[in-house]
Amino acid sequence: MSAHAETPGHGGPPPGYGTVGHLDRVMMGLIVALASEVMLFGAFFTAFFYVRYTNYPVYPPEPFEIPVDSTGINTAILISSSFTMHWALVSIKRGNRRGLTLGLLFTLIMGLTFLGLQIREYALLHGDGFTPEHGAFASVFFALTGLHGLHVFVGAVLLATCLLRTLRGHYSPAKHMGVELSGIYWHFVDVVWVILYTLVYLLSNGARAPL
Amino acid sequence: MSVVTSPPSTHTPAYGHTGGGSVWTRPGWWRALLWTILAAALAIAVPALVRVIVGWPWWQYEVMSTCLMIATPLGFLSGIGCFDYWGKYIVGSPLPEGHADHGAYSWRDYFKVNTDHKVIGIQYLVTTFVFFLIGGMLAEAFRAQLASPSNTYFTHDAYNGLISTHASIMIFLFIIPAFAGIANFVVPLMLGAEDMAFPRLNALSFWMLPTAGLIMVASLIWGGFNTGWTGYATLSTHDPTDQGTFFNMGVQFAGTSSILTMRAPGMTLSRMPLLVWANLTTSALVVLGTPFIAASQFMVMFDRVMHTKFFNVADGGSTIMYQHIFWFYSHPAVYIMMLPGFGIISEVISVMARKPIFGYRALAFSTVSIGVLGFSVWAHHMFVAGLQPWLRVPMMVTTMLIAVPTGIKIFSWVATLYNGVINLATPMLWAMGFLFTFVIGGLSGIWLAVLPIDIQVSDTYFVVAHIHYVLFGGSVFTIFAGLYFWFPKITGKMYNEKLGKWHFWLTFISFNATFFPQHYLGMLGMRRRVWTYDERFADWNLFISMMAFVLGAATLIFVYNAIISWWRGEPAPDNPWRALTIEWQVSSPPPIFNFDGAPRVVGGPYNYGQPGAKHVVFEEAPVTAAHH
Repeated sequence: MSAHAETPGHGGPPPGYGTVGHLDRVMMGLIVALASEVMLFGAFFTAFFYVRYTNYPVYPPEPFEIPVDSTGINTAILISSSFTMHWALVSIKRGNRRGLTLGLLFTLIMGLTFLGLQIREYALLHGDGFTPEHGAFASVFFALTGLHGLHVFVGAVLLATCLLRTLRGHYSPAKHMGVELSGIYWHFVDVVWVILYTLVYLLSNGARAPL
Repeated sequence: MSVVTSPPSTHTPAYGHTGGGSVWTRPGWWRALLWTILAAALAIAVPALVRVIVGWPWWQYEVMSTCLMIATPLGFLSGIGCFDYWGKYIVGSPLPEGHADHGAYSWRDYFKVNTDHKVIGIQYLVTTFVFFLIGGMLAEAFRAQLASPSNTYFTHDAYNGLISTHASIMIFLFIIPAFAGIANFVVPLMLGAEDMAFPRLNALSFWMLPTAGLIMVASLIWGGFNTGWTGYATLSTHDPTDQGTFFNMGVQFAGTSSILTMRAPGMTLSRMPLLVWANLTTSALVVLGTPFIAASQFMVMFDRVMHTKFFNVADGGSTIMYQHIFWFYSHPAVYIMMLPGFGIISEVISVMARKPIFGYRALAFSTVSIGVLGFSVWAHHMFVAGLQPWLRVPMMVTTMLIAVPTGIKIFSWVATLYNGVINLATPMLWAMGFLFTFVIGGLSGIWLAVLPIDIQVSDTYFVVAHIHYVLFGGSVFTIFAGLYFWFPKITGKMYNEKLGKWHFWLTFISFNATFFPQHYLGMLGMRRRVWTYDERFADWNLFISMMAFVLGAATLIFVYNAIISWWRGEPAPDNPWRALTIEWQVSSPPPIFNFDGAPRVVGGPYNYGQPGAKHVVFEEAPVTAAHH
């Protein structure tokens, strides 16, 4: 963590800089960024609650059905991917490169599956006429799920980068910040989805689409 | 006195010069130009192609302009070289030499992506002052219109464009980034840090500023967005200002992390200068608040481009919702525009009164509590907007509560001045002027918090007077205090004291003459954001317009003073104010890598009047700075 040059002035900061206790500054940066992300999702959740409780006593509004069950399967896939991500991280800490490769690969596949099923859901809803232009509730629904989907996509790009670097022989038990950061980001995206699924899908009081 | 460490003249910064390639492939202005054009072409071609495939007409104004405004800044930023390092980092390829893009060796380095916090600070300050002058000229233009109720210099649309652009420029392109500039230059030095924790993010944040500014100023050519700077939904079918908002997220993001991660050994939290406390709180506000305004602008953009229905009442949307989300950021934003100023004032008053700051802990904690309370008051902007009635009284109470920590600050500063040996140099004049005007602005703020008064004076010149007393009499006065205070450190030259005093007194008098009568006009019912007014307000408005022109002229004195002094002023001593904090213990301007010895903090930053008190010592290879 403090692999800084000892000469102050020209080689880098003197020892003791660049860490908060045991926290690396890059990790610190990610945490600040995620705090910002929490607020971004918070703003869209605010919009969701505002629209939901002022204008939609029943949602999804008639005659639409919300795909609670099929999205439940998708939720399970995303949650599982957090476990494989953790597996990858633990593997590289123990020097197990095969575990790292497989963990990243499974996580990436599950992430892409999630995105694919999300697109399928959009297509089905679109077929029913439930589109972002339909009304404020639909706007919020697509904004929230779309914003999350965008984050999954970014996470998938990070994972793919990690995977490529792994295949090129990067990372070691001592040096694997890339995997660690991508992992934290991935878990964050996962937690956001659990909250989103609970609020937007499970707590609906309208019609549910059959599986 | 220390020797100014001049860089070896043979040094040529490698970044952007070596590695071969032509001007079109290495980071710089030529590649920026090329990539901007390419991005613009893509921004038209891709949506056009998609639209043709789907079978829609290929051209649609809203879609194309939005894509252009997202793509071209990204093209420019990539071209100039903001992302080069990260791209290499992510794919794990060899990184350029550590300090190749650090520090300014000639004036050309100020026009490049540079990671040195001092260079970025100067880039910020100069850029923001250009925007300050543009915003000021807009104000003079609509004051000319308002000099008489029958003037017809501008149509009402053009007038609304002027006031909206004036406010947006002053808020997003002047006050917030000017504080960022001062913080960039001073805070790492004050902390004993070699640079920011995220120098490249810091550089990216800066380069977003001129980009955002260009978009905002360019909007004037197309008639300007005439919605007011708040861009309330259903009105805001024009250019949403989201370009101007996401840049400051990155700025302060870099700021927060630096403060937490780059402290010098021995710099405990209770030894941190108050300016650092202020910037830490501000950074937290920005990081947590800015996503809300980004979200509100995204929703507006979706409504405009994708025809979503967030703010469409007929389809279940809500316009009040826009105001909630907008003000949940924009109220904390007024503290983003004020807290760094409080920090500057604490520094200036303690140094110039030669006394330890009164109530260090109270000042630090009141800063943090303003930051926390700031998130609980947003709906006081919406008392007459058709807000849920039960929300109004709690918001009134929390708003008045904020007066408590603010009052603690004012009393602490006054107590610091009490019995001090006051040096009335220009920075101190601005600080004392700030105390005077900000108290007036604070008191009118408490008036506005009170529901019955707010309902009476909503959308009148009383509100205009209030915000100018807190943002001009508050923020801008502190920016000037800070600029005069650190001018010797930043430029290595002394400013002209006589011109500085002229600047202060002319500004102070004309500022009060311009804005104080607006309280009175507001109480009588003169509406804001209207290009004309009732005949009975004519005399006062003529007076106000004349005073506004004097105010503009006074600013030119500063511009002249800054340019002349920087160009051929007297060389500044290292520590002209005999201050204790770290930045004054190095040469003026500071060495390229800030410190020739490693600083160790040994005492509080404000122990003035105590013989032999030291805040910092330098270990090994010491720069023997002047301690008097």
